[in-house]
Amino acid sequence: MNWNHALAAAVPVILAGSVGCAGEHIPPKSLVDARADYAQARNGVAMQLDPTDVHEADMSLQTAEQAFHDSPDDPGTNDLAIIADRKALYAQSQAGLMKAQQDTQLATQQLQTTRSQQLAMAQGQLGATQMQLQQQQAQSIADQQKLATMEANLKDARATIAKIASIKDDDRGMVITLQGEVLFKTGKSDLKPAAMAKLDQIADALKSKEAPITVYGFTDNVGAHDMNMDLSQRRADSVRTYLISKGVPQDLIKAEGKGPDSPVADNESLEGRAQNRRVELVVSPKK
Amino acid sequence: MKVKAIWIAIAVGGVGVGCASSVPPPNDQWSAAQADVGRATAVATTVPDARLHLQLAQEDLAKSKQLIGDDNKRATNLAVLARVEAQLAFSLAKQATAQDEATKAQAELQKSTSQPVTPPMQPVTPTTLPVTH
Repeated sequence: MNWNHALAAAVPVILAGSVGCAGEHIPPKSLVDARADYAQARNGVAMQLDPTDVHEADMSLQTAEQAFHDSPDDPGTNDLAIIADRKALYAQSQAGLMKAQQDTQLATQQLQTTRSQQLAMAQGQLGATQMQLQQQQAQSIADQQKLATMEANLKDARATIAKIASIKDDDRGMVITLQGEVLFKTGKSDLKPAAMAKLDQIADALKSKEAPITVYGFTDNVGAHDMNMDLSQRRADSVRTYLISKGVPQDLIKAEGKGPDSPVADNESLEGRAQNRRVELVVSPKK
Repeated sequence: MKVKAIWIAIAVGGVGVGCASSVPPPNDQWSAAQADVGRATAVATTVPDARLHLQLAQEDLAKSKQLIGDDNKRATNLAVLARVEAQLAFSLAKQATAQDEATKAQAELQKSTSQPVTPPMQPVTPTTLPVTH
């Protein structure tokens, strides 16, 4: 083999080595990165949301792979690999952008729905509260009307009673005083017929008031104290029993004999003793 | 004669290798890349990843400009790369903004759903007139 033959044999080998030796080269980091980032784009959410950019990354990667196959040491191969890598990253970023926009839209829609529901609920509560308020106002008006009626009735009752007994107000309430002579015979506790007529009117006036009533019996100081205490108790009991029979609620009326201990006039005079012999009906303020 | 033919073949191959100068200057690609870099510059400075790729785009664009005329093939690659880097920077910046908005929207939704509805007003107690006897 002369020198010319040797050179002729070497030329194809040199040319072949400069073209087809990629399989023997380690791929550059840029190409490795491009392959990994493209795989991530293809297998991730980018493929669903942005397939066009994933396809472009695929095309760029194929170009880079071809360049690496053809010219592994060419700086242009590295450029193409970086371009492919950036396109894969771009596809992922675009997908991330779309995903974030979708999330924002979804959250905004849910927020609007939630606020609409909350508004409807608040309006419902407001309506219920307004209705409750109207009911309370109506009840208040009814209560006031009822109270006015009761006051009018009480005024009428007071006027009625004032015709047959004396009435005064003190710290115990309304005090109706009936003289003993009007109600009872001397030393007795049985009601006179005329007394019953007066008590009928008093019972009519008081039975619907639902106010506590205490019947107090009083005597003058003539006679033994014990006897007067007993007489005053029996007289108070008689009045209480009669009023109950005429409709005054039993649980609202009680009787108490006070004897001669609470005179309202001088027991030395005939007139004073007459004033001291009495029955008082104390109508307490309604609780 | 054979030897002469071989040398001619080598010479032709050499011409083939040196055909880079036949690649036209990437004026259009460079202008497009410059426009994309400008677009990314407006939004990418506050997002670290975006800022990094913007910087790479600016460097590639500058290198591309230097190589125009001497190595148009590489200049073309770098112009394309600068453009892709700029587009990536722009996208990353937009993505960060969108994710921030999504986070805020979700937080607002969370706050709204955990917030109780305003309780109803307390019932008003009607005033009662005093009872007189």
